[in-house]
Amino acid sequence: MADLLEARGLTKHYGPTIALDNASFSVQSGITGLLGPNGAGKSTAMKLFLGLIRPTSGTATIMGAEPYGSPDGRARVGYMPEHDALPPNVTATEFLMHMAQVSGLPPAFARMRTADTLRHVGLEEERYRPLGGYSTGMKQRVKLAQALVHDPVLVLLDEPTAGLDPSGRDEMLDLIKRTRRAFNISIMLSTHLLGDVERVADAVVVLESGAVSRQGSVAQFTAETESLLVEVADRRDEFTAALRAKGVEPIERGHMLVVKGAGDAEYDLIRDAVVESSARLRRLTPQRGTLTDIFRDGPA
Amino acid sequence: MTMQGQAEIYDLGYQSYDGPREGRSRARRAVFENGVRTLLGIGRGGRAKILPVLLFLGAISPALVFVLILSVVSEGDFVPGPSDYYGIVGTLLVIFAAVMAPELLLSDRQYNVLQLYLVRPLTSTDYLVARFLAFFIVVLALVYSGQIILQAGLILTADEQLEYLRDNWLDIPRFLAAGVVYALFITAIPLAVTTVISRRAYVAALVIGAFLVSSFFTDGLIAGDCTETVAVQGDEITREVECTPIIGDSAPYVALANLFQTPANISDLIFDVEPGSPSGTEVAKLNAAFPVATYIALTLLPCLLLWRRYRRLAL
Repeated sequence: MADLLEARGLTKHYGPTIALDNASFSVQSGITGLLGPNGAGKSTAMKLFLGLIRPTSGTATIMGAEPYGSPDGRARVGYMPEHDALPPNVTATEFLMHMAQVSGLPPAFARMRTADTLRHVGLEEERYRPLGGYSTGMKQRVKLAQALVHDPVLVLLDEPTAGLDPSGRDEMLDLIKRTRRAFNISIMLSTHLLGDVERVADAVVVLESGAVSRQGSVAQFTAETESLLVEVADRRDEFTAALRAKGVEPIERGHMLVVKGAGDAEYDLIRDAVVESSARLRRLTPQRGTLTDIFRDGPA
Repeated sequence: MTMQGQAEIYDLGYQSYDGPREGRSRARRAVFENGVRTLLGIGRGGRAKILPVLLFLGAISPALVFVLILSVVSEGDFVPGPSDYYGIVGTLLVIFAAVMAPELLLSDRQYNVLQLYLVRPLTSTDYLVARFLAFFIVVLALVYSGQIILQAGLILTADEQLEYLRDNWLDIPRFLAAGVVYALFITAIPLAVTTVISRRAYVAALVIGAFLVSSFFTDGLIAGDCTETVAVQGDEITREVECTPIIGDSAPYVALANLFQTPANISDLIFDVEPGSPSGTEVAKLNAAFPVATYIALTLLPCLLLWRRYRRLAL
């Protein structure tokens, strides 16, 4: 499968500050999360892929072309910035039609695409209102719509859920999933929220202090591990003691216990310990990895 | 007879776009057209239209008044000709440019819309040229609107219209050329100021202030001591004012710094008329290359500043 985005030794310095340090990764079709804490270099990486800034060294290619200085290559790319980027005194329809034309669509087609895209993001009713009067959630939708209006192959979303309340966040994530499913548009979203990536992304690239610390499919990170997760409703100390008496050393993780090994023998030992301690078993399940583990365990 | 049939609604779902994509040329055109719409307040609320409408009315109202006077008074010698008209509406043009320039360039930077342009098939130079041309075209329309009415009035109110046209046909290419000179000058400076100042009110104040101060400053230095001579010859009384500039022989060079007069100097050369202002009179003492070079420098330098600023723009 051809890479939609590829970074090779990508480095960007802002004076003495190193925003990206020799980062190498690639992004294929689907939804890819660019994950990292604030200041990890996510927005810098996006701007380098879009040709808004030049790399200090290394290369960033988007659909096989270097974006800086090749404007025609950007005709099939969409971008939703993190911060507000909407003129307050124009309507959503006027703004989207204009942006579609700036992406190269003739006016008649731009009008049709504007109507389709505003319907997709759920702003059909509000389309003739000036953007200055929109709520944060509506503004995020307009920003997404302007990134989609020209039917790009790939869209880059910078912190798409920033500033949204929980229901707004859910709606935005659903919209992103729907964009991939219904539009068949590949998406790279940068975020510092693990939950966002777990919910929508197929793959993840983790940036920490400007360097790539992990990359791979989300399924790979959240696969079942060789451990069991046990939760008892009461008599936890007695249950732990019973396990230890059988030679099993459980690891405490919050109100859960992790038992190494996930074979039949471990299941039998846990069953026996429950019986002996008279604890009420609430949960017994194979442990799955989470993206949180990436940060807890450190770089691979 | 009633016909019954079966109707079905099909949800075609999302349709991918497979229509034409016109790339960079369409992008440039769209930015230009949007610039014109922004300046005229088209597609925006009612308040955005007030200023352009008022300024257009202001630019054409002197011409309308003159034409009205010409239509009722047979002797219209006191009505200004095409060479004088730009001087009359010059202040209005500067106000329009000073107020509207930030609306065009500054708001795209202020509201971060510029980054949305630059991730599309458009370079910063494309964007800048399209915006510059949009501003230039609107200023040119403002510049020409009054002149066209005045020219039409002068022709229509002439006793012998064909004869008037034959005698004065050169005024038409001259006012067209002089209009371009004014519009280019008035476009370049305010747009360049928006690259160094990021508050709309300050941009307007600086541009209007620079034009006014340069005018007062140069006129003040040039005026110096004036003596008035009154001569009576038969029924005719002639009055002549002669001034000796404080700054002596350097007065013509100082007069070049009058921003209001810079395009007027070229206009006077195009119309081949005697200057009507003290600064213009002083500049006329110099070789024509001086006002031409001053005009070119004061138009090109702001353009260069604009181009450099947008090439280095960090987003």
